[in-house]
Amino acid sequence: MTNEHTPVTEADLHAYVDGLLDDDRRREVERWLQDHPQETAEVQQWQAQAKDLKAAFSGYARSGENDRALLNSKAQAGMQTPYWRRVGLLAASLLLFLSGAVAGVYTDRSYSVPTALETASALESLPGQSRTAFLVYASEKRHPVEVGADDETHLITWLGKRLDYKLVAPDLRAQGFSLVGGRLVPVNGMAGAMLMYQDASGQRLTVLLGKNPENGETSFRFESAGSVETFYWIDGDIGYAVTGEVTRAKLQAIAEECYRQFES
Amino acid sequence: MPHAPDEGSRAKGASPPSAETFENQVLSLVPSLRRYSRSLAKSDSDGEDLLQDCVEKVLVRRSQWRGINLRAWAFTIMTNLYRDRHRRFNQHPTVELDETLGLTAEDMSGDPLEKTRLQQALNALTPDFRAVLMLVVVEGYAYQDVADLLSIPIGTVMSRLSRARRQMAAQLAEDNIVTLRRPK
Repeated sequence: MTNEHTPVTEADLHAYVDGLLDDDRRREVERWLQDHPQETAEVQQWQAQAKDLKAAFSGYARSGENDRALLNSKAQAGMQTPYWRRVGLLAASLLLFLSGAVAGVYTDRSYSVPTALETASALESLPGQSRTAFLVYASEKRHPVEVGADDETHLITWLGKRLDYKLVAPDLRAQGFSLVGGRLVPVNGMAGAMLMYQDASGQRLTVLLGKNPENGETSFRFESAGSVETFYWIDGDIGYAVTGEVTRAKLQAIAEECYRQFES
Repeated sequence: MPHAPDEGSRAKGASPPSAETFENQVLSLVPSLRRYSRSLAKSDSDGEDLLQDCVEKVLVRRSQWRGINLRAWAFTIMTNLYRDRHRRFNQHPTVELDETLGLTAEDMSGDPLEKTRLQQALNALTPDFRAVLMLVVVEGYAYQDVADLLSIPIGTVMSRLSRARRQMAAQLAEDNIVTLRRPK
């Protein structure tokens, strides 16, 4: 083989990712990649990125109900309105747009902006809220919970009703943690639930549940802040977060156990 | 199979296109323009605004169209509008309310956390990098076509593509979040 004549350049690697090489060149690049693990890793990143980007936007390539109406009205405005009127219209619509943006009324196109904003903040802040709840309540000596484990049935019914969700308190005894109790807490500005557990040494962890405005499903996520670890995920319209000052491996096992017991 | 609406006008020859033909052509481009506008935008509503501006401009400027490749011409107009808006919005950041929005309305089956991260990584790109990345990856343009569309040398296309990909990869890797397999 005499591939030395046509060294593989970075442009080739991009073209490889984008499917722009002819078959011969593609095979040459593939052979070259076998001997270049670092470039292979980068190419794989780019491929994954491209796949995600296509998946994220392909759904938008569709017609909308109002496409023709939009086209027609704009066409008339563009062709027949004299210049000075167009400027006036532009100024007026700009004014409308700006005041609309300020008042937040530009929300009726395809979905509601407030919902999306809630979603964004919910996604970003779930682990943060869980950490705060843990830090505030787990260190409480006398009143860590509102309703104790001795009244578990009432606790679960009450919090489940406020969340509008068939709540269970996961049984974590196999992991060495027993239920202390729970309380009603604000999550994403709505009623949410916090359950607290404790092991034999008095080490505590909390499980936070909050309404997620957008239905969805995520993989497990992990975030650590200092010695406090949080696992969180979204399943359907509920977001979950488990926080504790335990090892990551241990908390993962507990989170997985919670996930298993929280049937959606 | 013949298309129904404009038999009469089409038979008369190549130039100039009748208003109806032109509008139908634009209309048939709207889905791909919608995808491109959304891939440049920070939110669904932002994307629809950009699409509207673009369609309006295409219609107003129809006399400037040279009669070849309407899609590429419309994409050029869209890209310029996007750059202008970006510049304007940066001067008046009050309109950036929805900057943190993820990809929301479409494809509910995907991972919303992942989509939010992807959107944030895209928002961190400069408009020039982002336009090239989207034209290549989402719209499937060859590099020379992108160069023609944006009136830049192909070397610039390659360097923007490369930097966009590396910046995205770095930002997506940077997160202190670890994805784990769910138990089944």
